[in-house]
Amino acid sequence: MPKKDELITRLKEMIGEAHVIQDPDKLKAYVIDGKKPKAVVTPGTIDEVSKVVAYASQEHLAIVPKGNGTKMNMGGIPKKMDIVLSTSRLNRITDRDCENLTLSAQSGLTLGEVQQGLAKVGKGYFLPLDPPFTDKATLGGIVATNSSGPRRLVYGTARDMIIGTKAVFPNGDVVVSGGKTVKNVSGYDMCKLLIGSYGTLGILCEMTFKLLPLPEKEATLLLSFAKLEEADGFAREMRGSQLIPSSLEILNAKAVQKMKYPVSTPPNGNYLVAIGVEGVTESIDRQISEMSEIGKKHGVLEAVTLDSDKHLAFWIAIRDFPYGLIHEYPNAISLKSNFLISKSGEMLGEYEKIAQGLGIDCAFISHAGNGIMYSYVLPGKNFRSKVNSFVELIEKLTAEAVKYGGGLVVESSPLSIKKKVDVWGQSRSDYVVVRRLKEQIDPVGILNIGRFVGGI
Amino acid sequence: MEREKLTEAMAKIVGKENVLSSETDLFLYGYDASLFRGKPDCIVLPGSTEEVSKIVKFAHEAGVHVVGRGSGTNLSGGTIPTQGGIVIHFSRMNRILEIDIENQRAVVEPAVFTLALKNALARYGYVYQPDPASEKVSTFGGNFGENSGGPHCLKYGVTTNHILGAEVVLYNGDVIQVGGKALDNPGYDLTGILVGSEGTLGIATKLILRIMPKPEAVKTMLAIYNSLEDAGRTVSAIIGDGIVPATLEMLDRLTIKAVEESIHAGFPLDAEAVLIIELDGLKDGMERLAERIMEICRKNNVREVKAARNEAERTQLWAGRKGAFGAVARLRPNYLVCDGTVPRTKLPEVLTQVMGVGKKYNLSIANVFHAGDGNLHPLILFDERNEEELKKVHLAGSEIMKLCADAGGTISGEHGIGTEKKKEMLFVFTPRDISAMKKVKAAFDPEDVYNPGKVLPEVEA
Repeated sequence: MPKKDELITRLKEMIGEAHVIQDPDKLKAYVIDGKKPKAVVTPGTIDEVSKVVAYASQEHLAIVPKGNGTKMNMGGIPKKMDIVLSTSRLNRITDRDCENLTLSAQSGLTLGEVQQGLAKVGKGYFLPLDPPFTDKATLGGIVATNSSGPRRLVYGTARDMIIGTKAVFPNGDVVVSGGKTVKNVSGYDMCKLLIGSYGTLGILCEMTFKLLPLPEKEATLLLSFAKLEEADGFAREMRGSQLIPSSLEILNAKAVQKMKYPVSTPPNGNYLVAIGVEGVTESIDRQISEMSEIGKKHGVLEAVTLDSDKHLAFWIAIRDFPYGLIHEYPNAISLKSNFLISKSGEMLGEYEKIAQGLGIDCAFISHAGNGIMYSYVLPGKNFRSKVNSFVELIEKLTAEAVKYGGGLVVESSPLSIKKKVDVWGQSRSDYVVVRRLKEQIDPVGILNIGRFVGGI
Repeated sequence: MEREKLTEAMAKIVGKENVLSSETDLFLYGYDASLFRGKPDCIVLPGSTEEVSKIVKFAHEAGVHVVGRGSGTNLSGGTIPTQGGIVIHFSRMNRILEIDIENQRAVVEPAVFTLALKNALARYGYVYQPDPASEKVSTFGGNFGENSGGPHCLKYGVTTNHILGAEVVLYNGDVIQVGGKALDNPGYDLTGILVGSEGTLGIATKLILRIMPKPEAVKTMLAIYNSLEDAGRTVSAIIGDGIVPATLEMLDRLTIKAVEESIHAGFPLDAEAVLIIELDGLKDGMERLAERIMEICRKNNVREVKAARNEAERTQLWAGRKGAFGAVARLRPNYLVCDGTVPRTKLPEVLTQVMGVGKKYNLSIANVFHAGDGNLHPLILFDERNEEELKKVHLAGSEIMKLCADAGGTISGEHGIGTEKKKEMLFVFTPRDISAMKKVKAAFDPEDVYNPGKVLPEVEA
C-alpha cells in the first residue's frame, strides 16, 4: 500500500486536484461506522473512475462508492475503507429517447431531477421508481441498493426496468451489459448482477431504464379500520381482484402519527390502508368507488379520497418516512422484512405483539401487495441501556419473517446494534455461489469490503 | 469416457429404461430448431432433482459434459451437444407442483409446457404473462434458459420478470435454492443472472413463477396496410402518443400469404403488412383508447382497421400470428429465424435494409415482428440440400445481425446466442465485456461441465 502522501498525489494526477478531498476535518463527514477514509475522490468521467479503480486494485486500496449518501448506513461494518468514490460529478443524461421509452443516464443524477425533466417532454414521461429520499437519492444509489417504493406493486423494481448498465469492474475495466432494447438475451444479463449488489462487484456509472408515459390521472384512497383483521381482509380481496391498485399499504397508528403528512383518522382507526390508483381517467373514478364499497364490506370506519397535490404529498410522505424520523429519533432503527404475500396480516399482527411485549415503540408500514414490511424502531431516551432489548426485538422479528418464507434486513441502525447482529440475516444455500462470484470478479477485494451479505 | 461405461453408470442412477443410446437416439438429440448438428454420447431422462444431482455429480467427476434439454425448440443451437457428453432430457419432470393463488406463485418442474400451466391457471382466473409463440410445447426450463419473450412482453416484460426463484443443480451436483416465493431476498440476484444463461451456468429443476389475476378486459384489433413503412410508423406513433398496448405485432406480405394458406386467419392476401394490436386491463376507457389507436392507424394510411368482435375472432387472429413460423415452413424446406432487436423507431429503416440483404443474396425473407418492442424475426427461406444457398443464408443472417447492432440494437431479443451467434457477440460487446461474463461462468461452473462452447466467444482480454 502506498504512503498517504503518494496516494493523494496519484489521485490528484488522475482526476485533478479540485476533486480530491484529503483534509482530515472534511473527511469526518465521510465516516461510516466509525471508519474514516484517507481520501474522497469525485471523478468527472467514467474513464476517470476506471483509472482510480485500476490504481486501487493494483495497490490493494479499499473503495467505498457513494452517491448522495442517503444510504451509507446500510450494510455491514466496512472491513476497510481507504477511498470514498463519489459519483456526484457523473451527472449527465446521455440519451433521453422518449419515443422509444428509454433513458440512459449517469449514476450521480438524482431521480428527482430526472423525473422533472421527463415530465416536461411531450405529454410527459416518468421512470417508474419511487424509492425513499425522493429528492436526494441518486440513480446509482437506488439501483445499487435495489431501493423501491409503494408503486412497485404495479411497476416492479429496478430489475424490471433496467435494460443496460455501464459499470467499472474491480480491475478497472469499463463493462457494458444489456443495451437499449427492452428485449435482449445477448450474453449473460450482467445488469441483474449489479442491481442490489451494494457496489461490491462494480461501480455503476451509467444505466439505461425503460420509461412509461405519465398516467392520465392519479388518486389515493385512504381507509381507516379498527381491527387488523378488517384491514387485512380488505387487502386480501384487493390482491385477488381484477382491479389494479398501483400501491397497497397498511400503516399502524404509530406510523400514521409519525408520517410527515397530516392524516386525521377516527378515534379507533388503528390501521390505515392507503391505496394508490393511476391510469386512464375513466378507470380512476370507478376503482375508487369499487374499492370504497369493498372497504365497507370489511367494516371501514372512514374513507377519504385524495387527488392531485394532496395525493402526491401523501405518497412522498410515505416514501420519505425514514427520512422524516431523523431529527426526532437520531437512533432510529429501520428494518425490512420479506415474506409470503398472503401472510402480510399475520406478520403485522405478530410484529405488533412482539414490540409491545418488549415495550418498544414501532411504526410499521407494510407493502401489503408485495409481502414486504418496513419496521421503524423508535427508541426513547437511554438508547445504550436498551441495546440488548433492541437486539432481542430484531431476533424475534427475524424469526417471524423466516417462518413465513423470508427474512429480515437491518437497513439502518446505530453501530452498537450492528456490532451485535448480522444486518443481512442468515446466509442462504446460494451463498456458495454468491461468494465465488465476489472472488472471481473482485479477487483482490477492493469494492465495499465487508458491507454485503456474509461479510463479503 | 467409453460410451458403454457411461450408459451403464447412468442406468444405475435412473434405470435402464431412462437411458437412450442407440444411433437413432443420438441422431435425434443432436439437433434442435436451429441449423446446427451435434452428437451426444447418451441421453438421460431423470425423474427427480436427486437423480439430476447424481447425474451431474458423476459427469463432473468423470469429466463429461452435460447439456439440458426440454422440447428442443431452441432457435440458436443452444441445446446442441456440440462437444458430446450427456443430454439430460427433462420430459419426465413435467409436474405442476403447486398453484399457490393467495401468494400469486406457481411452482413447476422444468418440462412443464408453458400453455399447460396457463390452462391450469385459467380456472382460477389467473395468468402467467410471457407467451412465446411456441408455448404449446416450450418448457419452463427452456424459457428460463433462454429468457423467452412473446407478444405480451411489450407490456408485461420477458421471462426474467416472471421467474422469481429456482432450485438449481450446480456443476458438481450440489443443489441450491435461488430467489424464492418471497421478493427481495438479500444477496446477488442469482435468479436474474441464471435466466437467459442458456444452460451454461446451472440446471434448474424447479421454478417459482409469478402469476397474476387475468385482466378484466381485452380488445384485439387488426390493421391492414398497403405499405410496410406505414405499418412501422403506426407502431412508433402509438407508443409516441403515450399508449403502451399489451401487444403490437406485425406480419409482412410473404408471411401473410403463408399464414392464409395454412391457417386462414382472415388476413387479406394483397396486403403488404398487418398489425395485431391488443389492449388489456380494466374495461374503463378501453373503448376510447381503442378509438385513439384506430385514429392513429388511419392517420398513417391504414387500408382497413377493425376490432375482433368476440373471443372466436380474437383467437383466429392470434392463431395467425402464433402459427406464422410453422406456416412459413411450407414455403421452402428450411428457414433461418433471425432475432435482432432495435429501438422501435428504427424499425422501418432497418426493415428496408433487411430486405436489401435478401435482394443482395437472392434469398426470400418473410418477416414476423414483435414490432412494439423492436424485435424483428426475419425468416430467411432456403433449401439446406443446396449448399451454396446455405452458405448465403449464414452470411445474410450475420449481416442482418450487424444491421441491428449498428442501429443501436442487439443480436438476440429472445432466442439466445447459443452456437449460432457467438462471433456476432462482438458486434455488441467488447472483449472486456465478454471477459466479465466469463468470470460469471467461472464462478458458477469452474470446470466447464455445462453446455460447453456456447454463448461466449473466445477473446483475449
